[in-house]
Amino acid sequence: MALQSCVNIKKEWDIVGARQMGRDIAREMGFGTVDQARIATAISELARNIYLYAGSGKVCFEKIDTIEKRGMCMIATDAGPGIVDIGQVMEDGFTTSSGLGAGLPGVRRLMDEFDIKSAKNVGTEIKAIKWLR
Amino acid sequence: MELDIRVEKDNDQIAIFLTGEIDAFTAPKLKEELAKCTVQSGKIIQVDLEQVEYMDSTGLGIFIGALKSAKEHDSSLKLVHLQDRVFRLFKITGLDEIMDIKPVIQGGKQ
Amino acid sequence: MDVVKSDAANYKNFLKEFIETQNERALYGAEQIIKTFIKRNISPEEIVNLHILAFAELYPNITPEVHRAMNFLLETMISYGMALQEYQALREKQLELQSEISVAASMQETLLLTEKPCISGLDIGVISIPAQQMNGDYHHFMKGKDGSLGIAIADVIGKGVPAALCMSMIKYSVDSFPEEAMSPQMILNSLNRVVERNVDPSMFITMFYGQYHPDSEMLTYASAGHEPGFHYCAETDTFSEIKAKGLVLGVLPDTEYQQYERKINKGDMIILLTDGVTECRNGEEFIESDEVLERIHEFRHLPAQEMVEKVYRYFERMQDFHLRDDFTLLIFKKRV
Repeated sequence: MALQSCVNIKKEWDIVGARQMGRDIAREMGFGTVDQARIATAISELARNIYLYAGSGKVCFEKIDTIEKRGMCMIATDAGPGIVDIGQVMEDGFTTSSGLGAGLPGVRRLMDEFDIKSAKNVGTEIKAIKWLR
Repeated sequence: MELDIRVEKDNDQIAIFLTGEIDAFTAPKLKEELAKCTVQSGKIIQVDLEQVEYMDSTGLGIFIGALKSAKEHDSSLKLVHLQDRVFRLFKITGLDEIMDIKPVIQGGKQ
Repeated sequence: MDVVKSDAANYKNFLKEFIETQNERALYGAEQIIKTFIKRNISPEEIVNLHILAFAELYPNITPEVHRAMNFLLETMISYGMALQEYQALREKQLELQSEISVAASMQETLLLTEKPCISGLDIGVISIPAQQMNGDYHHFMKGKDGSLGIAIADVIGKGVPAALCMSMIKYSVDSFPEEAMSPQMILNSLNRVVERNVDPSMFITMFYGQYHPDSEMLTYASAGHEPGFHYCAETDTFSEIKAKGLVLGVLPDTEYQQYERKINKGDMIILLTDGVTECRNGEEFIESDEVLERIHEFRHLPAQEMVEKVYRYFERMQDFHLRDDFTLLIFKKRV
């Protein structure tokens, strides 16, 4: 697995930085325009969650390059309050009803693989992968 | 239909003025406002229903809940100026005998 | 879902035709393609992308500004597409819930099923229609060993699923009472304790319980805050309200209900109802209970079942076929 590239998220402006880095990697790996746009939107959502709920954290990118599959993995980590009820935040209409964007269900739909680990008062790690077709 | 709720506080006295209709749609809002008042202890709460044209059984439930909550917190709840149609509901259900209710004065008698 | 090659080619042809001729036919063709895209859940960003690719193939020399502008549109469509997908997922969930509720409703129907008893000399008619899928009204007939007929009619405050759940509890409580304890007064006393212990404070139930004794021709009854019924006296051709004082079930644990009785003569009718009947509205106007009685009077020569159905149809039409509350009307006529 290749080296990680990371962007720290502290200010709202850092979300733009994360999008930029993610898009550069996606373009370089050969993702089409639509997938590039999806990856950038997913990064926005993840980074924005960190900025809004955890205060600070980071978004890291990895290129996955094996014989079977090529793809891009993004990992958003924070040391925030954690998600108590993951089932609830993954439910449609839960985050969006409070007007905070498409939320995690949206990210899951934009990406091919999606996983959350979270512990109360420890933090949250969200991993999402988009495969190159 | 709409329900307008106006709350006036003066020391231990809380006067609540309702205007509109009390039904399944407006009841949650009324329940919330009443609960805010009935959980305080030692209050004298008076609800004025003069401008309430319609109330269905959902409204009765709200007032029973409020009455129970007021009793638990040593507060009192009183309903005043009920129109005939609304008062009839309290009368049929026997609630007029366990609640402090003063209907609209008509022809000099209550 | 992805756009397939043939769609892409069709789309490109219609786009070309439209740019060259501004022909309505091309637009109609595009409309048909888009409809199939909607059916196959193709996202807006895919369609914008299809457009960009088709345009670039037709006009390879477009300026970078135009190309970027179209990519900009594609980016903005991603969020729109996410919102659309969420909406679709929620809609599917709603359909699931709806079908669950209709299963629950038919279960309730089976649970609360009560058979209209045949008692010689009595003609009984009853109709109970829920405003939503599940019924918060309840009626029940019980034939006693002594030949008496017990009739319960009840209304849970509120409508829908919570009211319906509450009703099932009531029915099973009544069923579990021993027959010796079956006087209207005793039944209400016991039920009140059950409801008081088991139901949320802001929820309550009104109930009228009557027991008709064919031998003595007497109706004994008690009411827990229920909408008063009516007694039609054939001899005087008048209606009188069946007044009975009593607090609704579930408010105070030790309520004692009073029992009343009245004689039922040949040709008399007892009319029991829920507030869904008296709270019918004609536009913004409420109907008066007189209007219910006028209809009943008008139909009084019909069999009881036909009467209740006709009254229901009348008020259903008056309310533009949209009930605001569950509607239950029960009539029993003493024929001989």
